[in-house]
This record gives sequence, structure tokens and C-alpha cells, in this order.
Amino acid sequence: MSILAYNGAAIIAMKGKDCVAIAADRRFGVQAQTVSMDFDKVFEMGPHLFVGLPGLATDVQTISQRLKFRLNLYELRENRRIKPQTFMSMVSNLLYERRFGPYFVEPVIAGLDSKTNQPYIASMDLIGCPMITDDFVVSGTCSEQMYGMCESLWEPDLSPDDLFETISQALMNAFDRDALSGWGGVVYIIEKDKVTKKLLKTRMD
Amino acid sequence: MEAMAMMPYQQEQTNHIERPIQHRFSPYDFNGGTVLAIAGEDFAVIASDTRLMTGFSILARDVPKTTQYTTNTVVGSCGFHGDVLTLTKVIQTRLKMFTYLHQKEMDTSSVAAMLSTVLYYRRFFPYYVYNIVAGIDTEGKGCVYSFDPVGSYERETYRAGGSASSMLQPLLDNQIGMKNQEGAKQVPLAKAKAVALVKDVFTSAAERDIHTGDAVCIHVITKQGTTKETYPLRRD
Amino acid sequence: MFLTRSEYDRGVNTFSPEGRLFQVEYAIEAIKLGSTAIGIQTNEGVVLAVEKRVTSPLIEPTSIEKIMEVDKHIGCAMSGLIADSRTLIDRARVEAQNHWFTYNENMSVESVTQAVSNLALAFGDDDPDPGAMSRPFGVALLLAGIDKDGPRLFHMDPSGTFIQYDAKAIGSGSEGAQQALQEQFHKSITLKDACKSALTILKQVMEEKLSATNVEMATVTTDRLFQMLSKDELEAIIKDL
Repeated sequence: MSILAYNGAAIIAMKGKDCVAIAADRRFGVQAQTVSMDFDKVFEMGPHLFVGLPGLATDVQTISQRLKFRLNLYELRENRRIKPQTFMSMVSNLLYERRFGPYFVEPVIAGLDSKTNQPYIASMDLIGCPMITDDFVVSGTCSEQMYGMCESLWEPDLSPDDLFETISQALMNAFDRDALSGWGGVVYIIEKDKVTKKLLKTRMD
Repeated sequence: MEAMAMMPYQQEQTNHIERPIQHRFSPYDFNGGTVLAIAGEDFAVIASDTRLMTGFSILARDVPKTTQYTTNTVVGSCGFHGDVLTLTKVIQTRLKMFTYLHQKEMDTSSVAAMLSTVLYYRRFFPYYVYNIVAGIDTEGKGCVYSFDPVGSYERETYRAGGSASSMLQPLLDNQIGMKNQEGAKQVPLAKAKAVALVKDVFTSAAERDIHTGDAVCIHVITKQGTTKETYPLRRD
Repeated sequence: MFLTRSEYDRGVNTFSPEGRLFQVEYAIEAIKLGSTAIGIQTNEGVVLAVEKRVTSPLIEPTSIEKIMEVDKHIGCAMSGLIADSRTLIDRARVEAQNHWFTYNENMSVESVTQAVSNLALAFGDDDPDPGAMSRPFGVALLLAGIDKDGPRLFHMDPSGTFIQYDAKAIGSGSEGAQQALQEQFHKSITLKDACKSALTILKQVMEEKLSATNVEMATVTTDRLFQMLSKDELEAIIKDL
């Protein structure tokens, strides 16, 4: 069994009109056994910047801390907020440093540009190869299900409310068909002047 | 230097130890394809894409994986196309024999039961085929039966099978099963809505799954008989 | 009288010059020695009734069984060499269960009868299938049941010929009984009346005095399927005769 699927996760990021959303499940399990249902996989990296880390739970936490470490150094040195694009390169670099002994995470990045407020989403594989799209990115143990849902539900220029509904439905119905992810969800809707965090109540089986 | 020059020779020596080369015959292939069936109140819809693949090559663009078995039973089968063809022939022979013996057409529920036994008889060298049976039951209601390759089966209201099944199934859960929709009421599914949904989800599947594409063949089964329609999908 | 046939009544698979199979004909004759059995089909269901010949007071009457269940929805009455019927009933039961196993539906009465008749005709084979015998079966069957077409009654004789009947009598008293059935049967007969008729006719053709111990009766109906009548139920009908 793949180490990437050892703990189980489902994460989606989506673009809307002047907003982005990132959503994740809340399960932490060890293969088929669920251990907890309040596990964080999405981390705040700035006022309008979030990273989702699906994969091996120990690496999720290590990577989130090392990213915060590098991000703090960057912002102290530069004395300004990081751009999502720059942050994406930072994540990519961090992962590629371990090209031949990788961290087992495939991150998802969602944010608004600190200057222009342009929505930005990206995902990458475990050695840092990035993929930047205009619609949505998915990562985790039920990526096929998430692709199926997003491909049918997503449309351009969604309002923040519609974006929330779309990403939530995409996430919930996808992870309900995956034994390794689910057990509650969390959604962040990122707008210019506010970030809304909502917890999703879902079936717990 | 001399020692270095010797190296290739020595290596050649060790590499030239003759050992038997084992060639293993692999009896299975995977030829892609997605099937999908939905049961309505008095109708059933079953659809499949028409692409036939092996690896990254497209073998054909016009081979539906659905077969009409009786006036009100259509079966979708995908997986290894060689097994699909054989299984289809076996079932059709059995249906013909049944009609001769019992002077009636087989019910959809019996087609499903028989298919299960036919699959299970190959428990230890299975037909590599995923089947979905759709039709009208003896009460005139739409019915769908889904199978695994060794004959485990279940009656359901909707089911996706084959290469893009994991993409389609959650969407069906949401749109037909009304899953994760708080306070949503289960309204009887209209025939036109079912067909529109089939076209929608196949378009989505063709977008992401390389094994699914070219066209989708949709059968609508009612008491009166079946109609067939083909709808184009992306061909890349 | 049999002298003229002596050359052709030995082998079971040899036709006589007149085109007859004597062993089969003799087997049919054997039925006429058996106890009488009657079947009547109605719109509500089918009734089967047989006489039991309790030839000694030391016989335990319940050990004589001439009506048997083939499946939940099919029963069978018999006359002739009852021992021979075991093989046929066994086959009928296996076929009915196999049909259910494979098709998840009840086997039709006609199909069960067809399956049994295939076995009845498989005598004298060089390498026989399991169950087949070297001679014809010396038993006739009345198969009664409920299927998609409603209540159905079939008669099958040792030649394997089977015909659907509204009402049929077999066995030693069959001639008189069949005549009586023809007079009493009508298309709208109720099951209750059919039960009564069956016993009345049996009473007429039986040598012993009819009682609840020396007859057997069963019904096959849509809601109760195959059901043997208890001694009390029999007594209730006999009282009304």
C-alpha cells in the first residue's frame, strides 16, 4: 500500500469570482482504523493564503512547520507579505530538496494575491512538480471521485456563497465514496476583506 | 590499467552464464469503457461509452459495451473485451435455450440471477468483466442490478461501472440519491432528466478518464421496448 | 394371448413390426393395478386426492405416502409402482431447486413435468444418466401446481407423454372416476366443491370404506401453495359428503 494513502485525506481548492476556496476532510486514521475526526490538514500561511497537505500525517505536520519557518524568515527579510506564486515556489523547493527521499505529501495551495487580489490555486506532487490551473485542483486518496464531482459541478465566476456550496458538495460526495477520508470537513472561503471558515457535518462511517 | 581493461571481459563472463528465460502468458487485458445505469419508476436508462482501448492505443471508437438481451433487458459489460464477447455469447445462448425450454422470455430478475451463477462458475479463473443489468421488473418498475466479476450482485436504483465509475458514482449519489442535500425531497426521476444527466456525467468522465470517450450509447428501456441514442464525446 | 408378441416384448428399445413398444404398453397397464388418484384444477387452485390401500390392520397408514411436495408451489400424486416414483420425484425436486438457484424464480409446472418426462423416457440407454433405469417406470404422476399461468394440472404416464387436464383420474378406479369427473367438473367449480367431488368419486370407486385414514388429499393454492390436508380437515369434508 502506498505511503501516501496510509492516513487518508481529501483536499480541494477552487477558484470563484474574486474569491478562492480550499476544503479538506478531518479524518486521521491508520489504514482502515480511524483515530480522530478533528485533524487539521489545511494551514494558514498568511491572511489570504492557505496550504492543504494531504498525505502521510507525520510529514503533513513537519512540512507545515518547516513551511511556516521559511515563510517567517522570508517575510522578515523582505518585510512584506508573500505572493501565492512565490509561496508555491517555496513549497516546491522544499519538496524538491528531498528529491530522492521525499516527504509523502502532495500539497494544494489557495490564496489571493497580496497586491492584486487575484485568485490563485495550485497543486503539486510529492517532489514539488507544480500544477497551476484556472478552475480547481484536487489531491488525496479520493482524487478520482473529486475530479468527477468538480468536473460536473464547477463553473466559472462563482460567487463566494455558490463557491462554498460547490466545493462542499464536491468534497462530501467524493469522500463518501472513499473509506480513507471523510469524517467531517472544513471549508475556507477566502475573499479580499474576509476569510470564512466553516465546518461541515457529514456522515461519520 | 590492465586490470581495468580486464573488467569488461570479466563482466561478459558472468553475464554469459546461460539461464532459462521465462516467458509468462497473461490471459487478461483491460480495454477500458464505462457503463452507467439508472432505474426510474417505469423505465430504466443504461449507457456506455463506445471507445475500445488497450494501454494508450485506441482500438476502436464505435463499440458500445451494451447488449440487448431481451425486449426489456439490456446489459452493460466492460473490462477485458475478449471475456465480454465470450460472456455475452454464453448468456445469449442460455437465453435462447431458456426460451425453447420454458416457452417464455426470461425476466430481468432471472437474467441477473443467471448471470450471477454463470460468473460464479468461473470463480477461480474469472471472466474479467464488470456487468450492470438494466430492465423492467415483473411489476413494471425500472430495475438495475450491478455485479462484480465473480457474481456478487445487488439490486440498486443507480450504478456506474468500469474505468470511470469512481468519477461518476459520487455525482449520482448527489444528483439521484440526493446525498448530502439537507432537506431535499426524493422526487421521482423524469426520463428526460435521467438522459440529460447521463450525457452530462459522461462528458465529465471523458474530460478526465483517457479510457472513456468518443461517444456514449444510451438505451432507454420501458414496458413498450427500448430506444437507442448516441451522443458524441471528446475523441482525444 | 401374449404368444404372438413373444419376440418383441423383451427389449425395451425394439419396436414391433406394428410399430409398438410392448414394454412401455405393459408399464401403462401396471398403472391400472395401482390405487386410484384424482386431480382437479379450479380457478382458486388444484386439489389432489388418492386412496391408500391399507391391506392389513397391522399397517401404519401414515407410512403410505402417495402425495408428495415437489416444491413450495408444486405437488404430485401418483399411482402404480410407488417405489419407482421416488426417482422421478427426486428428479423433479432437483430440477425445481436448480431452476430457482439459477433464475431466482419458481419453475413452471409444465417445465417440471417436462423435466420428469425426460427421465421417464431415458430407459434402456447403454450408458444411462443418473436416475435412468433399464425398464420404463411403472408409475403415472399427477403434477399439480401454481405458476405464472395460474393453477395447472398435468398427467404424465410411463411413456413420458404429458398432457394438461382440468380433471384427471389414474389407477385401478380411473375409468369410473374419469367418467364421474366428466359429469361433475365445470369451469367455475370452487376449490371446496372440487375437494368434495374428489372424495365423493374416490368413495365410489374404492373397495374399502372411505375414511380419514385411508385417503390422502392436498391442495395447491395461490396464497397457501402446497398444503397437505390434516386428518381433522379430511374428517370435516368426509362428514359433509
